[in-house]
Amino acid sequence: MALAEDRRTVAIRLSVLQYLIALVFSVLAVSFWVLQVAQHETYAELAENNNQRTLALRAPRGVVFDRNGGVLVENRHSYSISILREHTKDLNRTVQLLASLLGFEERGVREIVDRHRREPAYRPIMIVQDATLQQVAAVTARRLELPDVVIEQVPTRQYHDTMAAHLFGYVGEVNDAQIASADGLKSGDVVGQSGIEKVYNNLLMGEDGAKIVVVNSVGREIRTLDEDPASEGQRLRLTIDEDVQKALEDGFKWSGFNGAAVILDPRNGEVLAFASVPAYDPNAFASGIDKTTWAALNTDELRPLQDRAIQGRYSPGSTFKMAVATAALEEGIITPDFKVFCPGSATFFGRPFQCWKKGGHGTIDLRHAIEQSCNVYFYTLGNMVGIDRIHKWATLLGLGEKSGIDLPNEVQGLVPSPEWKKARTGEKWYAGETISVSIGQGQVSVTPVSMAVYISTIANGGTRVTPHFLKAVDDGSGWKDVPTPAPQSKVDFKPDTIKALHDGLYLVVNGVGTGGGSRIVGRDVSGKTGTAQVISTEGAKSARGKTDKDLRDNGWFLFFAPRDNPQIAGVVFMEHGGHGGTWAAPISKHVLETFFAKQDGKPLPPPPVKQGTPPAPAGGDDPPLVLPGRVADNSSVAGQPRP
Amino acid sequence: MLERRLYFHIDWALLLAILALCGLGVAMIYSTTGDPTRDVSRLHITQLYAIVLGLIAMVVTLSLDYRTFTDKSHLIYVGVLALLLYVMFFGAVQMGARRWIALGGFNLQPSEFAKIGVALVLAKFFGENRGTPAWSDLAIGGALTLVPLALIAKEPDLGTAVTLLPVFAAVAFLAGMRMRVLGVFVVCMLLAAPVAWKFGLRDYQRSRISTFLDPSQDAKGAGYQQIQARITVGSGGLAGKGFRHGTQGQLRFLPVAHNDFIFSVLAEEQGFAGVLVALGLYLFVILRALEAARLAKDRLGSYLVLGVLASFTFQVVYNITMSAGLAPVKGLTLPLMSYGGSSMIATLAGFGLILNVRMRRFTN
Repeated sequence: MALAEDRRTVAIRLSVLQYLIALVFSVLAVSFWVLQVAQHETYAELAENNNQRTLALRAPRGVVFDRNGGVLVENRHSYSISILREHTKDLNRTVQLLASLLGFEERGVREIVDRHRREPAYRPIMIVQDATLQQVAAVTARRLELPDVVIEQVPTRQYHDTMAAHLFGYVGEVNDAQIASADGLKSGDVVGQSGIEKVYNNLLMGEDGAKIVVVNSVGREIRTLDEDPASEGQRLRLTIDEDVQKALEDGFKWSGFNGAAVILDPRNGEVLAFASVPAYDPNAFASGIDKTTWAALNTDELRPLQDRAIQGRYSPGSTFKMAVATAALEEGIITPDFKVFCPGSATFFGRPFQCWKKGGHGTIDLRHAIEQSCNVYFYTLGNMVGIDRIHKWATLLGLGEKSGIDLPNEVQGLVPSPEWKKARTGEKWYAGETISVSIGQGQVSVTPVSMAVYISTIANGGTRVTPHFLKAVDDGSGWKDVPTPAPQSKVDFKPDTIKALHDGLYLVVNGVGTGGGSRIVGRDVSGKTGTAQVISTEGAKSARGKTDKDLRDNGWFLFFAPRDNPQIAGVVFMEHGGHGGTWAAPISKHVLETFFAKQDGKPLPPPPVKQGTPPAPAGGDDPPLVLPGRVADNSSVAGQPRP
Repeated sequence: MLERRLYFHIDWALLLAILALCGLGVAMIYSTTGDPTRDVSRLHITQLYAIVLGLIAMVVTLSLDYRTFTDKSHLIYVGVLALLLYVMFFGAVQMGARRWIALGGFNLQPSEFAKIGVALVLAKFFGENRGTPAWSDLAIGGALTLVPLALIAKEPDLGTAVTLLPVFAAVAFLAGMRMRVLGVFVVCMLLAAPVAWKFGLRDYQRSRISTFLDPSQDAKGAGYQQIQARITVGSGGLAGKGFRHGTQGQLRFLPVAHNDFIFSVLAEEQGFAGVLVALGLYLFVILRALEAARLAKDRLGSYLVLGVLASFTFQVVYNITMSAGLAPVKGLTLPLMSYGGSSMIATLAGFGLILNVRMRRFTN
């Protein structure tokens, strides 16, 4: 029967469907078992990586204080914007969109990304280190389209407006060479790249923490799972005195000249103030310096990145005379009463050498020869002492040597010697060259910091202290003093030597000498000016295309005070600042006044005003030296005696 | 109307299983849409309303004899076609597709009701043709299926459109279609596949299929959902991460988790244990419905039950497979559990017909 057959077909086919369904569901159940039970571990791990993100918590670098606890360098909060490729779907799109939101060129952003492409994807690639609020707002507004962009709050170095930029240095992202050479540094770390920041990077750098957060599929943080807080870097107390530093900077601003200055405590080498002008703004580096600013700093003719105090080499001029005097006294060649007759010029080895004073100083002893900076006296003395002993004593005083200051890339000056000349040119030393060296001309070149050591050594009687900045360190458990670095060398000068030098230098300031601009009643300031021709040291070829100002003499003023128990010593160097007494001495006076006022608890003197007006020089005149050999190469001076 | 006698013949076990699945769905919707970072979502409340409306629809489809419906099936069919045409021209556009008719606060999706319409019309058509269906019968039945299918595919909603095919296949199969014919169909499908690949599919559809074959080729693009689905399910483990403690669904690594991927969320939060329970419930519902087809008083009833059940089963199996990342991602919901009013109402109305057939097995 058809109907019955139909019913049977239906029944059979329904059974077929039943078994089919049961089979399909069994397969499904097995599939889920495989995924959820057999392969659970794998997927659980994947799920965890999916929704957990480890964020670095940047450690603030240690705060830097001055010797009295004033804050010199601190940290502020800023926002960094990075790409976290772990969650990137389309890197090109992210780069494009991010660049347009930040107002950057796409190429620049791509370059940054390319530079870090090889690194693991979980490490964020920082695009902006110090984003503006507008940039943060722009990126936040498009958050959903940029799940792979993270905005982090990071501590950024904050330097106060200062000429001590070279002292602090600057920070920047660690480079590959630094990662390779130091333990514990990883890509993206911010480290000191120069100055104190570099030298004491290990102390200043804190330890980054980490935060594990749960994020959703668009990268939004939902909650924090674990947090390992960052530990701040150690705090440093420097030897710098904020007020003395400011006085020095005010002085430079007042003069309008470039130059350098280093002020020390001659008893132990503590640096009280330090400047190199022109400076740069270290804050620009802290927030990730852009290419144009960097290029501008590098191509600037004034070379603001150069630390003139430790990297500039200049002719010392008359300030070198104390080295010759020290050599003569300590070697027992003369006594302080040794007299020379100065008729205004003298002839050595068949060649005339002039004194700056046309009519001559007449008969003059050592003290007054220093006071009046008599060239003929020191020509004579230098000729008697000889180059070897001049070299020996200049070195013991710290000239032509590295000072050992705790800053990177200090250069060495030069006090010539026959050995040096032989090695350098293969020629022997001419005795005539010694005459030029005796008054600090010729091949002699010094760095301002070595001059500070030099005057300190004269002030303290023979101890070549090591200039240093670090006074104490606080690793969180209280301040611990850092031991004073050992002196570079120590010779006990004869009391006669000290007395004669100090008397002469006292007279420079308080007699008829050239340093009257730094005279302070009751403080017994002692010092020495120096004026050095630029052209003889830097060479005639660099003179081309320079204005008169560029060719003006460099001015020095070296000082210490008080004469009998020096507590402060230093050097102020003015590039093209003319005579050392004109600008360098009054700046030094302001520094000294500030120092003593602070010591006595009195109100600090107001900063000098009226930029660009030189004060009337007090005391004797010391016009630029007129030397026979106003040429670059010293050997030609000796070789070609001129009328 | 509903006589007292019929009331006793309602398949309460089936109804209970259906309601259990609905409840499971509401719980999962609540779990996935309650994002702690957002405002409290009310989607689970909306779903409860949809279930109530669905139950009312079920009462309607229960109350009248199913033969009343099949007798009027041509009218219902034409009505469905009219709605589909209306959607084509005036429908609301959402996510690039024109699938909905906006009715105040509620969006009606006619394609969901097309399944019932087709089931009714095919049951009627094959029920009237005694004996093994002839080629012409298959052609007419096929045409009746393909017209709404084409309209739905045009929306475009290929996923829903394809669910009409099992309706035709199941009814034709039950009507005694020769196995030889079935074989011819399979061969035709295989031959047509490359052509369909080339001309019938859109780019995104092609990429979905090709990434299914190798999800890692585009791990963050089209393959993303599939990989995320596998991670979601796999990380659930034996016991699951706990209610509202799933990370994948909660944190939106899975798109539209409360909709297409609701089973993944269940797997993540309730683990393999929860999966077994849900699979068991679905299997029970399907086998119980097949039982209704077996018990049906007439062939018409069997065909109707199977027609309704076919699209349901197809969708359940496909969605669950997809939830585990084992099938290409398609916008196919999981009937009874996924969020969606039209789907819920249409599905419950369909089960009303199945219950209808079963409880009227003794009536004349």
